[in-house]
Amino acid sequence: MHVVIINGSPRVKEFSNTDKILAKFTEGLTENGTTFEQYEVSDRKQWDAIRTAYNTNKNILMAIPLYVENIPGLLLEFLETLTPKNDGTQLSFILQGGFAEGSQLRCGEAYLEILAKELGCEYGGTLAKGDNFSIRFFGEQTRERVTSPYKEMGREFAAQGNFKSEACRKFTGPETFPLKIRILVGAMFATVARKSFKKIAAGLGCTKSLKYRPYK
Amino acid sequence: MILVVNTTADTSVSEEVKKLAAEENKDIKLIEAGNKKIGNCIGCNYCWLKTPGECAVKDDYEEILKEIIHAKELWVISDTALGFINHKGKNFFDRILPIATMYLKFKGKEMRHVARYKSSPDVGIIYRGEADKAYLNRWTERCAINFESKSLGAYSTENIKEAVACM
Repeated sequence: MHVVIINGSPRVKEFSNTDKILAKFTEGLTENGTTFEQYEVSDRKQWDAIRTAYNTNKNILMAIPLYVENIPGLLLEFLETLTPKNDGTQLSFILQGGFAEGSQLRCGEAYLEILAKELGCEYGGTLAKGDNFSIRFFGEQTRERVTSPYKEMGREFAAQGNFKSEACRKFTGPETFPLKIRILVGAMFATVARKSFKKIAAGLGCTKSLKYRPYK
Repeated sequence: MILVVNTTADTSVSEEVKKLAAEENKDIKLIEAGNKKIGNCIGCNYCWLKTPGECAVKDDYEEILKEIIHAKELWVISDTALGFINHKGKNFFDRILPIATMYLKFKGKEMRHVARYKSSPDVGIIYRGEADKAYLNRWTERCAINFESKSLGAYSTENIKEAVACM
């Protein structure tokens, strides 16, 4: 099997969480001989090559960060240049987001099924998972821990040919968290996490409060 | 203030909105953004972490953002593509992130960003062309949840009157 992978993140590859997820996913994907070619929508110079790959391959996988409950505007701009295929091509998706609850990804996921149809492709399912906001800020060890589960999902895609299995469904994790967890995590976000965000911000050269209002 | 932003290059829709709103004595502020320079969100997160509240992409969006923070309602007129609003309409929404902060809290069962300003506008869509109306309504609802406001619905340009009645 050969898969065309399109990273739909508008963020440059170096800082793309989606790219880091794909790095692990493709490790698992290729273990038993599946091959792939990968493109980045963030690099407009690649758009002609992506169109050619889309037109000449029948197994396409788009990896997408959730932007305001749907796909990023830049990816949409690229997709608007494609011609619907109607030739049995399968289009599958990896959808990732910052918030941890599965429920936060469902509106975006619902669109991906519509999108596959609009592009005249068979829907190969969506591997949806959140809690990925900080991947690019993590050190190597934590990043490895957070992204490594995607390796198994790469194996699963290679074995099943799509994301419709029970293992893929379970990969999302809980739809929402129980009240006890919410109280605990809520307290953490009001204290420890704020410090951690401030530290990241200071590292980026931020000199203002993160609640600063530039416009009156 | 009711803010109406037309992201299409066709001003006939916004003219119609303006006319109908005047007939109903509704005071709207209309921004024609179809020919403005508004790029896509590049996902840098600077608006949350480096220059809080300010977008790193310097173009015509900033002047609109300054209006959004005072709006009671935000109506976006957009063309459609692939069953959804088109990329110009979506870019408009993607670029709204500076009105949220990096801080997080639970609101009901889901986590949300803490808002940067005291109030966020209710959201409505007026779309021109073919789209999945049921999905657009669902999506607008979700956008509003993120703004901690309410959805005013998604309306085809064939039903502008209905949209204006909701303003």
